[in-house]
Amino acid sequence: MENMEHEYIIAHADKSVLKISGLKVKGLNTKQLEEILSEKLHTFVRVIGVTGDNIEMDVYDIDPEQVRKNEAGLIESLALAEGITTTDITKMLCSDKIVEVDYDSIPDEPISACARERWMKRQ
Amino acid sequence: MKTVYILPTGDEIKNGTVLDLDAPEIVRMTVKEYPECEVIRMCPLLDIEDTIFNKISEIAQREPDLIVLIGGSGGGHRFSKTLGKDFTHSALERYLDEYSSHEIYGKNGHMWSKLVCGKKGPTTIINVPGPFVEASAAFGAYLNALSQNKDVNGISLAMAEAVLAQYPTGAASL
Repeated sequence: MENMEHEYIIAHADKSVLKISGLKVKGLNTKQLEEILSEKLHTFVRVIGVTGDNIEMDVYDIDPEQVRKNEAGLIESLALAEGITTTDITKMLCSDKIVEVDYDSIPDEPISACARERWMKRQ
Repeated sequence: MKTVYILPTGDEIKNGTVLDLDAPEIVRMTVKEYPECEVIRMCPLLDIEDTIFNKISEIAQREPDLIVLIGGSGGGHRFSKTLGKDFTHSALERYLDEYSSHEIYGKNGHMWSKLVCGKKGPTTIINVPGPFVEASAAFGAYLNALSQNKDVNGISLAMAEAVLAQYPTGAASL
């Protein structure tokens, strides 16, 4: 067999993490939810984690304040997606943009396969 | 291509919290390209590395042309305790003697996705990320690379580039 390649690619994208809690989720159509929120926020949205009562998403290239200001409207839009029921305790939390790390300061494997974790452990 | 096994992973897929949209799309894409292919979608697996490893081993003994694992391709629980456990790439690395891999990192140092492609006997084994647009882009790149007779390095790179293209990345560096 030929020499096997193991390469790293760095994606230079700004993103924030959007967490919505207090939901009832069953049979969620993630594609539909991403499309609804992308249209509403005019940017890329990616669902990255779902449980029975909350959803975590990456939102790219957006000012987190813009998301926070639109909380009520966004929660209303969520209910349009198949598999989501909002409740009176539904809440939205948007993180600040991700912070860039210095890749030169990240320890090598085998501490962890995740560079972020390796970077944190080095602190 | 005559036989393909699709292995969705994820507790949220297995318990029905999230609809499995990826597997039907991979079936559709495969059948479009290879109308006579038999495509088997297996019962979704929990995010447990040994469970995934054992199922890959079991299916590979049937010597299909392709096994596709869906989901669990990022840093996941290693980065955030609220995210799912991501074990498909580590299970594949344990199972495959030789493989090619491409890891996509965000500028925050978090591994967003790791694409692995390897061979065991006559079987090619790949993984694709869980998000629908990334899964369909990665699998489309696989089919395209296969039609161009690319080796596992070429397939892995093509899949990683297709996933990267789904982010508003601006510049990317290897």
